[in-house]
Amino acid sequence: MIDSSLRWVDDRLGIAKGGRTFLDKIFPDHWSFMLGEIALYSFLVLLGTGVFLSLYYIPSAHEIVYHGSYLPLQGQKVSEAYASSVGLSFDVKSGLLMRQAHHWAADIFLGAIAVHMARVFFTGAFRKPRELNWIVGVSMLLLGIVNGFLGYSLPDDLVSGTGIRITYSIVESIPLVGSYLGFFLFGGNYPGNGIIIPRFFLLHVLIVPALIIGLLAAHLGLLVKQKHTQFKGRGKTEHNVVGSPMFPTFMAKTTGFLFMTTAVTFILAGFAQINPIWQFGQYEPFQISYAVQPDWYMGWLDGALRIMPSWEFVGWGHTIPLEVLLPAVIFPGIIFNIFFAWPFIEARHTGDLAYHNLLDRPRDRPKRTGAGAMMLMLMFMVFSASSTDVLANFFQIRLNSVLWFFRIAVPVIPVITYFLTVKICEEMAGAEGIGKRKPPNLVHRSATGEFSTVPTEARPGDGHEELEAVPVPTFIDMVPADLATGPGIRRVMR
Amino acid sequence: MFRGRYAIPAALLASVGIFGLMAFSPSAAQADSTTPTTLASAGGGYTYPTPTTSPTVSASSGYGTANINLPETFIAPGQAIFDASCASCHGADASGTSRAPNLQGLGAGTVDFWVSTGRMPLADSSVQATEKPPRFNRTETLQIAAFVQSKTPGTGVPIPIVNLSAANLESGGSLYTLNCAACHTITGAGDALAGGAYAPSLHLATPTQIIEAIRSGPGNMPRFSEGNLTPTEAHDIAAYVHGVIQQPDDRGGFGLGGVGPVGEGFVGLLIGVGLLMLVCFWIGERS
Amino acid sequence: MSDESHQVPPLTTVSVEDPHLQPYAKHPGRAEAFAAATMVIGFLGFIGFGITYWISDQTQWEAATLGGGMLALGAGVIAWGKYLMAQGPFVEERHEFHSTEAERDAMTAAIVERGGMVVQRRKVLGGLFALGSTAMGVVIAFPLIRSLGPKPATSRQATNTDTSLFATNWKKNSQLVTADGRIVKVADLGVGGVLTVFPKGYEGSSPDQTILIRLAQIGPNDPPFQLESPGRTDWGVQGYVAYSKMCTHLGCPVGLYQELTQQLVCPCHQSIFNVVSGCVPEFGPAPRPLPQLPLKVDAFGNLQSQSGYQQAVGPGFWERP
Repeated sequence: MIDSSLRWVDDRLGIAKGGRTFLDKIFPDHWSFMLGEIALYSFLVLLGTGVFLSLYYIPSAHEIVYHGSYLPLQGQKVSEAYASSVGLSFDVKSGLLMRQAHHWAADIFLGAIAVHMARVFFTGAFRKPRELNWIVGVSMLLLGIVNGFLGYSLPDDLVSGTGIRITYSIVESIPLVGSYLGFFLFGGNYPGNGIIIPRFFLLHVLIVPALIIGLLAAHLGLLVKQKHTQFKGRGKTEHNVVGSPMFPTFMAKTTGFLFMTTAVTFILAGFAQINPIWQFGQYEPFQISYAVQPDWYMGWLDGALRIMPSWEFVGWGHTIPLEVLLPAVIFPGIIFNIFFAWPFIEARHTGDLAYHNLLDRPRDRPKRTGAGAMMLMLMFMVFSASSTDVLANFFQIRLNSVLWFFRIAVPVIPVITYFLTVKICEEMAGAEGIGKRKPPNLVHRSATGEFSTVPTEARPGDGHEELEAVPVPTFIDMVPADLATGPGIRRVMR
Repeated sequence: MFRGRYAIPAALLASVGIFGLMAFSPSAAQADSTTPTTLASAGGGYTYPTPTTSPTVSASSGYGTANINLPETFIAPGQAIFDASCASCHGADASGTSRAPNLQGLGAGTVDFWVSTGRMPLADSSVQATEKPPRFNRTETLQIAAFVQSKTPGTGVPIPIVNLSAANLESGGSLYTLNCAACHTITGAGDALAGGAYAPSLHLATPTQIIEAIRSGPGNMPRFSEGNLTPTEAHDIAAYVHGVIQQPDDRGGFGLGGVGPVGEGFVGLLIGVGLLMLVCFWIGERS
Repeated sequence: MSDESHQVPPLTTVSVEDPHLQPYAKHPGRAEAFAAATMVIGFLGFIGFGITYWISDQTQWEAATLGGGMLALGAGVIAWGKYLMAQGPFVEERHEFHSTEAERDAMTAAIVERGGMVVQRRKVLGGLFALGSTAMGVVIAFPLIRSLGPKPATSRQATNTDTSLFATNWKKNSQLVTADGRIVKVADLGVGGVLTVFPKGYEGSSPDQTILIRLAQIGPNDPPFQLESPGRTDWGVQGYVAYSKMCTHLGCPVGLYQELTQQLVCPCHQSIFNVVSGCVPEFGPAPRPLPQLPLKVDAFGNLQSQSGYQQAVGPGFWERP
């Protein structure tokens, strides 16, 4: 049955040879290689739930009177976008679950990208020949942030409307072309003629996702072509990959992981309320709530805006709002350029142009690890600065003191982090056997009161590494009866 | 150590289970009140609590314009309490000292707000007066208010008779967003203001206190006169705060404190990505 | 791909007893029981979701059943894959995927020599094609970009707020009204009162939003409330002052008025403006004072503007002088 179908397909497409190679493709077993899959699978959740939402959402700023099931809004004049967002939450079965799952999946998607990127960075997996895949990945991060912001803006609620207003002002701050860009994006002076909602919708559901899907295909294609990196270890060299085959072992694990990712997203979606737009109400340009922030992956920009001193350049008949331009345009520009260029910066710095398939331990590369820790700390500090008011309220400190703290801490603490990390790495590199899993020692007290240390044997779990790695066998010598009682049931003791 | 390997998935399942159970208790309680905002339930029970010697109602015309007339018999006991607990700062005739402001002319409603929310008597004069359990019971509070009001009859903020049964939540929501959310936040959680001040949470305020605060503008809060917010509008806001802000429709799960994306970001990263990283630990090798 | 250069691995047949094919689990029976149990739980969870959907549509139950089902099923499949499948370890050789020097040279030669032959022989055609495609690239940007919105008016005298960053709808004698169109009278606000106002006919308009504050109870014949520079005392009336509600930082509505300290705070990025000195920024990122609106009272006691704003409201931009 399988045999004849395969023959039919292979006659026409010739897939057997490459297909068998693909089924034998080896995936490293280390846990850190699963991090990117969180992003991949939450992206699938985003696509699925997103399609559901787009069936009910109406991208229109047209004003109507709300007549849905949420009583406090009854009779209010709202936009169709807002009314349909509340409507798909309350008046479509399972709608609220899907909407919240979509939003949580976006938060998890970008969080997983950050964690995955940190793993790739700290282990040096971006080095030759994988610089291009690093760039593809950073591009997806950038597009993911943009699409997250676009989606956040679509419900046209009070909080997201404030975000759109701020975005307009940031665009406006760019010298020479700022007001043109703003007018072209919004179809006129803010708030425009309501065209921004359909434009954001088109970008959010078609253009940016299409770009992300294209880059994702390139990301995975390059991964297959260039094969995985791996950590140093028994039998692992620059010229092989050791781990589990694509089929069936890896496929089972990753399918299970797909379910796990979906499960965590949906459980959060039902138990942790996210962006309750019905409580925020319709956006009006003259209304505002205190304590509004963008989603976490935009928070670092908001924090940078908050701590920036009020430097505005005025002269020769022109104004350059540096207090906006520097934190919201130049700063993210520099950060992403560093991200994009890092593989080449590092290669130039080290002069290392060789192929690298074996990964570094972070402690063996103190400067790179220090630089990564510095970047993480910088991001964390500016992100924290986006909640100055919430922190001041929570810890009952003066708002002004919190702001001054961050003005000083944002440039200083990352630098301290760098030197501290380099120091720690150097210390760890000097320590013998650090981080190795060691069998425990038994301390034995004899009848005469003498103590002796008895090393225990390696634990069964450790024995996994005892076998030599072998190529996936072409055939398994197996009588049909073995299919039922064969592999998977018995264990050969060794 | 095979058993040990099961510990991780088991712990994962257990933690999610516990998380789920915790989540269910509020949501189950909410299941039958997912529409808590019918006007009757919002207004019910919040007509003015009757004091022991009942003050009369000044039934002037129009919805929301009725105020409490404090009886003259309240003035003498009120003066006694004032002498004991307030006069040391505000002066025996409530005209203020170097330590505390003049209260004459502020009206019974202002006094009622400060005393009934526990802000007065003040615990610590160096910081903003904080809401705490009130020192005086309802009657005593009204007696103090009657004494202060007796110094300048007919002026200042009266104590309103609040009846929310005819209030309009939609109008209240719009007015709340325009006039209140800039400080108290759209969820009523409150937030830090400039110079160490803060806008308090609205989650414990009674409708009477809300209207008294709107009219008297305690501390840094602006004062909204009747020309600014009509009595009807003030009642609509009180109804919105009581019916919606204080009983938010959190049908999406835990409200996460109503502080918005910062809290959501922490949950998404720590619980969402964190749990999935634990799954990675389970699936993959850890050496 | 370049499979030709690969060494084809030999066909290998191994016994089913090969240690590499044995499960990872020491007690496969237990692992199988675990996987079976979780998969049953998963199945029940999905059934539960179906029932929940039909009878109640309760979000928490939906999440618990659907999410719980996925969690259990996923755990079962992972346990199956991790504990019950061939444990390996298996290895795969890496192959150099870059081409040989000869192949590279051939590629370069194809581009340089064939292309050179084509272009060198027909230089004019090459130039014309470059010219034509460049022109197309430029003009196609016109509809793609220029059609998106109007050109910003550069004149400071422009009056249309849809196309000018300088314009507001505040004119001489504009009537102050609230967001729902109620005319604002001088008696409306008490001391410490605050109100968002618009010019009559433009209620809710973004650039026109103005915050009206009463700082003192001053009669028509009393001395005016003295503002500190650069605030203009003669632009206030009877204790009223009015400022643009658009923050000069990023255009958020500056709706947070601290009455005791006479400060306006922007809820977005906490810029703090001093109301009694013409809304000079005292703290935070805002670079400029909030523009002040000149006020007066007409014969009927209604508040009006003496004139429009004397400068562009809102955040900075390149054309702003």
